[in-house]
Amino acid sequence: MVIEDRKAIVVSEITKKFGPLAAVDHVSFEVGEGEFFGFLGPNGAGKTTLIRMLTTLVRPTSGKAVVSCCDVAEEPGEVRRHIGVVPQAMTSDLDLTGYENMDLYGRFYGIHARERKERIKNLLDTVGLASRANDLVATYSGGMRRRLEIARVLVHRPSLLFLDEPTIGLDPQSRHVVWDFLRKLIEGDSMTIFLTTHYMEEAETLCGKVAIIDAGKIIAIGSPEELKSSIPGNDIISLTVADLSDGLIGAIGKLSFVHKVNADEGTLRVYVDSGAKNLPSLIDEVRASGGVILSATIHEQSLEDVFIHYTGKSIREEEAKKVSFLVGAGIPQKLGR
Amino acid sequence: MIRLFAVIERDLKKFKRNPVVLGMSILMPLIYLVILGNSFQGKLTGLPVAVVDKDTGPYAKRVMEDLLAIQAGPQTFSLISVADEQAAVNGVRAGRYKAAFIIPSDFSKRVSLEGRPEVGLFLDNTDSISSETIRNLLNAALLSIRSEYVPIRERTDQVLLRDINLYGKVDYYQSLVPGVVIMAIFLGTLTTGAFNLVMDRFLGIDESYLLTPLSKSHIVSGLIISGLSITTAIAILILAVSIFITGIPFPRAAGQCLPLFVVVVLTTLCLLSLMFVILGRIGHPRIVGVLSGFLNVIMFFPSGAVYPVASFPGWLKSFSKVNPEAYAVDALKAILFKNAGLSSIYGDIAFLGLFTALMMTISILSFKRTL
Repeated sequence: MVIEDRKAIVVSEITKKFGPLAAVDHVSFEVGEGEFFGFLGPNGAGKTTLIRMLTTLVRPTSGKAVVSCCDVAEEPGEVRRHIGVVPQAMTSDLDLTGYENMDLYGRFYGIHARERKERIKNLLDTVGLASRANDLVATYSGGMRRRLEIARVLVHRPSLLFLDEPTIGLDPQSRHVVWDFLRKLIEGDSMTIFLTTHYMEEAETLCGKVAIIDAGKIIAIGSPEELKSSIPGNDIISLTVADLSDGLIGAIGKLSFVHKVNADEGTLRVYVDSGAKNLPSLIDEVRASGGVILSATIHEQSLEDVFIHYTGKSIREEEAKKVSFLVGAGIPQKLGR
Repeated sequence: MIRLFAVIERDLKKFKRNPVVLGMSILMPLIYLVILGNSFQGKLTGLPVAVVDKDTGPYAKRVMEDLLAIQAGPQTFSLISVADEQAAVNGVRAGRYKAAFIIPSDFSKRVSLEGRPEVGLFLDNTDSISSETIRNLLNAALLSIRSEYVPIRERTDQVLLRDINLYGKVDYYQSLVPGVVIMAIFLGTLTTGAFNLVMDRFLGIDESYLLTPLSKSHIVSGLIISGLSITTAIAILILAVSIFITGIPFPRAAGQCLPLFVVVVLTTLCLLSLMFVILGRIGHPRIVGVLSGFLNVIMFFPSGAVYPVASFPGWLKSFSKVNPEAYAVDALKAILFKNAGLSSIYGDIAFLGLFTALMMTISILSFKRTL
């Protein structure tokens, strides 16, 4: 159930600078109650800093954020009472059992024994950890630990849940388990979920609304459908062409069904209407202009294409440049400490 | 309260699951007692001394008798007779002897003719403690050479000092016990309390509780209370064991047990809150490792645990005045060796209490609730 008129998060012009570097740069947005809101962007885009400001762990340099009930800078304690946060790094205690981790967490929120016990039991059942509840977390796999941490943050029944890259470092199977669980949450409790991710599929399959962030700024915001329809055409045909020439690109651009052509090192990305129907005409045109096609693919537009459209670069490439297997392993980000 | 207890329980559970730390915290101070008790103190025995006797007169014989008496009695040195003067000195240079003692051929003649008799002593003065001991012993032995008789009656022209010990005898080994207990408390406070915060920060799991409604004082006082219970238990155990092995009369009366308990608890609180101020914002255990050696030396040695504060130069004495370990050592010595009650150590207790309050306030104020 989405109650659009009530806001869970209202952010205006929030900025965080580390020295001269603005990790988050005058960002404004709103999240309605009951919404599943996603922040999509490459690593280093400012997602973690933003989530840390919204969850009171980092003070904003300027700007304002009202989360749940209160301003994060003025009443951080009150904000913490209402929210639940799953940080990017694994934060469960390895020396304690799964049950103990949850139990202590419940006590940090002042939940009384009987109620705590019942809630923990239900949550452990839901995330499929009931049989391992009394094992030390040190013996858990990455996926189990992540599930435990999501369950732990629900012990106090927050109305607003923050998840910072919840599936980072997980294998595809564990990722789907987490996704299914998050979907169930939003259906059941009219909870608001705020999630950051650099996985396009994650934002696309889970979120009702997505903000695309790059270099500390929001570059586009809307539902995945809105975002995709904001870029021209509805399909993208990628062609690998030998002897690519400007004349050839110009000729393709003049075709009636073509909206936009991007060329990058021998690969053409052609934004078109009805890709399957128009592919033969496109191929004819390339051949007529003297091009030799080495390969051709058609795909529906995704959020990745939206990102490319607005930034001129791909998230995957951005990731490849900053390749860091450490980030994938869930090593905590030290920036801002 | 439910929150505070949760912080305490979390810490105690984690400590319990690392029994190695517990074992080391108990063993190390005890080993320290044994090592320090046997390495600083101690009479020197068996120092090799070369003797070159070139005189055959009666006084040379008398000197040799005195030396042999020392060799047989306190066994401070073992004498090696060497014929040649040069060989004896070379032996000292080569490290075979600690000293070479040379009686010249005219020694007895000079003694009887009152002609300033002399003997030679070549010392390996790089080992200052051994060479001082040899010099003092030989001086004492040579003083009595001319005494022809032993006085039977007390001499009436001398002032007689009658010394009376007010307390039971305290040997060197026993005098180390307060220091060892303080050492145990120091180690305990270093590995509990604020150190947990450093480790959580290092492992990145501090985020999990910083995100909860726990307040600064919940976190700080929770960690201090758990550190207090662990460290006090260890310190009392070590106190009991070291009293037993050094043979200090065991405190039986409540009048002695209560002050001991108060001093141990207060010292622990004091050092725990001091550690919070020092380690409160550190995020790497390696820094704690470096600091621990440093803090131990600057606090322990000027505490008077090993050598009296009165022997320090002025600047070090001033430092001792603000060193909580000095007050703790003073209080423990008073209770253990002078049977003092709480009323006689109120000065120490007042200082430790004030110091704790000050450090606790600073640590809660300076604790960062953000990352």
